[in-house]
Amino acid sequence: MTLAVDAIAWHQFFFVMFALLTCGFAVGVLFSGNIVRMAFYLVLSLASSAGLFFLAGAEFVGAMQLMIYVGGTLVLLIFGVMLTAQDRFISLKTPAGEWVLSLIIGGTLLALLLAAAFRYEGWQQAELGDTTPTSSQADTTARLGLSLVGVRPDKLDDSPRKAGMSGYLFPFIIVSVHLLVVLVGAAYMARAKKRTTTTAR
Amino acid sequence: MQTTLVDLLTSAGLPDPLAHVIRALVPCVLIIHLVAVGALVFIWLERKVSGRIQDRLGPTRVGGRFGWLQTLADGIKLIAKEDITPGEADAMLFRIAPYVSFAASFAAWLAMPFAVGWSGLDMNVAVFFVLAVLGLEVFGVILAGYASGSKWSLFGAMREAAQVVSYEVPLGLCVVIPVFICGTMNLTTIGEMQRGFATNWLIFHDPFTFCVFWVYITCGVASVNRAPFDLAEAESELVAGFHTEYSGLRWSFFFMAEYGSMLLVSALAVILFLGAWHGPIPIFSIGLGWTDAGGILGYLASLAGCANLILKSSLGVIVMIWVRWTLPRLRIDQVMTTCLKYCVPLASFCFLGALAWQAWIPNVTPASLPAPFGIDRAAIRESWVTRAGGPHATVSDAQLTPQTASPVPTTLATQSVPDRNIPVAGSTAPIGREETP
Amino acid sequence: MAASVADQRVIEFDVRTDEMLVNMGPQHPSTHGVLRLVLRTDGEVVSEVEPHLGYLHRCAEKIGENLTPRQWVPYTDRMDYLAGMNMNLGWALCVEKLLDHNLSDKAKHLRVIIAEMGRIASHLVGMGAYGLDLGTFSPFLYAFREREKILDLFEEACGARLTYSYLTPGGATADLPEGWLDKCSAFLDQFEPVIQEYHALLTTNSIFIKRTANIGVMDAEMVTDYGCTGPVLRGSGVDHDLRRDGEEIYTEMYENYAFEVVVQKDGHYPRDHTYPPVPKEAVLGDCWHRFYVRMLEVVQAIDLVRQAIERYRSADGDWGIPIKLTQKLPKGEVYLETEAPRGQMGFYLVSDGNSIPRRVRARSSCFCNLSVTSDVCRGALLADVPAIVGSLDVVMGEIDR
Repeated sequence: MTLAVDAIAWHQFFFVMFALLTCGFAVGVLFSGNIVRMAFYLVLSLASSAGLFFLAGAEFVGAMQLMIYVGGTLVLLIFGVMLTAQDRFISLKTPAGEWVLSLIIGGTLLALLLAAAFRYEGWQQAELGDTTPTSSQADTTARLGLSLVGVRPDKLDDSPRKAGMSGYLFPFIIVSVHLLVVLVGAAYMARAKKRTTTTAR
Repeated sequence: MQTTLVDLLTSAGLPDPLAHVIRALVPCVLIIHLVAVGALVFIWLERKVSGRIQDRLGPTRVGGRFGWLQTLADGIKLIAKEDITPGEADAMLFRIAPYVSFAASFAAWLAMPFAVGWSGLDMNVAVFFVLAVLGLEVFGVILAGYASGSKWSLFGAMREAAQVVSYEVPLGLCVVIPVFICGTMNLTTIGEMQRGFATNWLIFHDPFTFCVFWVYITCGVASVNRAPFDLAEAESELVAGFHTEYSGLRWSFFFMAEYGSMLLVSALAVILFLGAWHGPIPIFSIGLGWTDAGGILGYLASLAGCANLILKSSLGVIVMIWVRWTLPRLRIDQVMTTCLKYCVPLASFCFLGALAWQAWIPNVTPASLPAPFGIDRAAIRESWVTRAGGPHATVSDAQLTPQTASPVPTTLATQSVPDRNIPVAGSTAPIGREETP
Repeated sequence: MAASVADQRVIEFDVRTDEMLVNMGPQHPSTHGVLRLVLRTDGEVVSEVEPHLGYLHRCAEKIGENLTPRQWVPYTDRMDYLAGMNMNLGWALCVEKLLDHNLSDKAKHLRVIIAEMGRIASHLVGMGAYGLDLGTFSPFLYAFREREKILDLFEEACGARLTYSYLTPGGATADLPEGWLDKCSAFLDQFEPVIQEYHALLTTNSIFIKRTANIGVMDAEMVTDYGCTGPVLRGSGVDHDLRRDGEEIYTEMYENYAFEVVVQKDGHYPRDHTYPPVPKEAVLGDCWHRFYVRMLEVVQAIDLVRQAIERYRSADGDWGIPIKLTQKLPKGEVYLETEAPRGQMGFYLVSDGNSIPRRVRARSSCFCNLSVTSDVCRGALLADVPAIVGSLDVVMGEIDR
């Protein structure tokens, strides 16, 4: 049959699809005027990138992406928008000067990222080395969990005394404490501490 | 199922890509039918059960004596209704919101196993995926509430957002307990670890899991917005909350999403606590021995297991219906208090308790009874992990293999000595070691 | 939360937000008909409530100035349409007071039976609809199941289920039919144990207690200042019931009946029934007490009907032949209040000697009861507004007339 393409084609097909969706909705965020629509496009963009993670077999990271970015952060974002917006269906217009400025900053960042990415050897090769799609059953989670408590697969050669120190637990705790501080700070800033007396009767 | 179906199709002469497409479509179609037909059945059931609870008959005419076609008639009515978008609304978001809700409720089913190997996607982190996707359902509700351009809808959306964000915390804590008892996030493995008699069900694992099951039920009801936590659509306060402005088919999509999530939450409870596809008495696995027989008998056993799971989940849904038609609704601050003052501390306490139980007295459980009543969960997990990781051993597996006698930190090793269930390195068979040459 | 703030006019804001003006009603599921409340809300906290009335105004009083008193009886049915019998009674007594008409004992006992059955039927709706306001549907149907039985009895007595026009000036349109009393006592025997179901579903339900206890608290001074009457007044601990404290033409109906006014005295309600205990959280004058007073009045009404049936059986005289349709009224004015289920319903009649009154006015109990809303709801949560308005148990037909 003429349809006979290698099974890998699906993998690439979905990669391209998710990549296009991610980029397309990211552009949508940029060009939309309505702030809630922006948030909605951002959700779709982030969800598509979660799809990329699933495609790469990194299911834990993919689910994490859905849970934290799509679920948590964006709900809070929308909360913030709805709480702070003075008018309903507020629309934002970016002046031309800001467009230029943001293009310069964004372009620089993109160039930096691309330069850094292509320094990695695997990216310079024309074809991908291992084309076998990673199975959804690969136990990526166990390794992540072990790494968190200090048994990193790539640092097993370290001396036993140092081994426990190389886990991700400490940075994780630092980041979470930092987030907590930010939350407390935000709550403090939002407090108005005013007493309002509404006229009675 | 994945390999067998594709192999079957290719051996029948189908080209490989087409076989993969068919393999992908089969579970999708099955699951969409489960959610949609499930909604039909449960709406009918809700009307019948509520009717009986309220001393009346419920539907009796459409489709015969029990009115079992009532929902279908309602569905046809809904399709025929005018699809109204309010002038004040943000039309694009307003139209898309019901589908966001429904898609989330549907997508979570992809990772749910119905029997061994019977799942849309046998995922390594299925529990986490289900929770993450289930949390996305709130998004459709928020969009609906905001885009409707109605104040009551906005109230509903705000309540829903606050409620779901809060209840995800205790819900996650409840789910983590079976996960660490089993040492895996793979729902199929968790299910298989409860085979045998009902004594092996995780709800009877220790007093803390028994306790946390009820916390899970509470949080589950709250996270799918059912009474007494149905604040987002509280009809006596907010007219109809977030779906005040919806009509016709779009409205029914919210309804289907709600019933899909209800079934999902109960199915998750069944898999995590109530023995998944295993009945209280192991007729198929021990009595007849069909489960491990393979072939058509194994298939039949799986079918029975699937029916078992759906039956148990439906019982959970009936409990939710029963609760809805009995209790008054809580107030929003009381809902939050219930979450933050009762559910979170209770779940945390049970978490610590179950952890301590696992660490110090893991043998004082029904699971450590003699053979048919007890079960060696660690062995099952190891067999599953090696089975799953086997053909796909990657580079890091080799790196994980110890070069020296014990690369594992001594602290961890001593901690895990009395324990055969907690999956830390240093237990008898660390994950992914067997297949290295 | 905010309901427990000492001075409800002062609300401390934690997070600065915008205020929102929302319209609750006239088409809203929990505004008992066509009440319209304009709420100023700050998030979930209600900072101002303004009731708007008049959506059900049908000029009943003006019509009364163009009809004879007996012709106007059907219009009283449509005031408090949930307790039509009690409305009929109020008007009938008012006209009888003007005419100085004396009833036989039998007619008085008949009126007690009918009025107290009407009170049960009305409180059943009040109770069921309150459950509905709090988001539980089943008690509503449990209440209607029993109310239907009372309506069946009423239908047998007068042919109507909602707008009875049964008690008319002079007596009643007909005597009770054969066997009615037996059916009525059979109903009471069946109904009394059912009240425990209502207590289980609502009164003692912990979610119900959480939603109603310490919510919408009104002290005795406040309710008397606003002129609240009926269960709202007694729920705040004011010992006042027109069946005992009213004018003689009304109280003589209840002469020699054994009954106690349902009001909390020294921390206790009158004890002749197995009541559920008052929860710790409940404060005198809150929604829970108003609801509880209604429930106890149902029990008390059962007792009164039983006594009245006994007396009716042995009483002499006729059942009260109605006055002539075009009976000339003596010149003068008269005002009479009776204890309707929702409070003191007053009728005012001025006659210039014709058969058609010169002026007819009604004093609505629900109007006064409703007037407290803007004061009580201030600082409450959005979900408390239906809880408070529901505990006042207003019927818009009576307010708007």
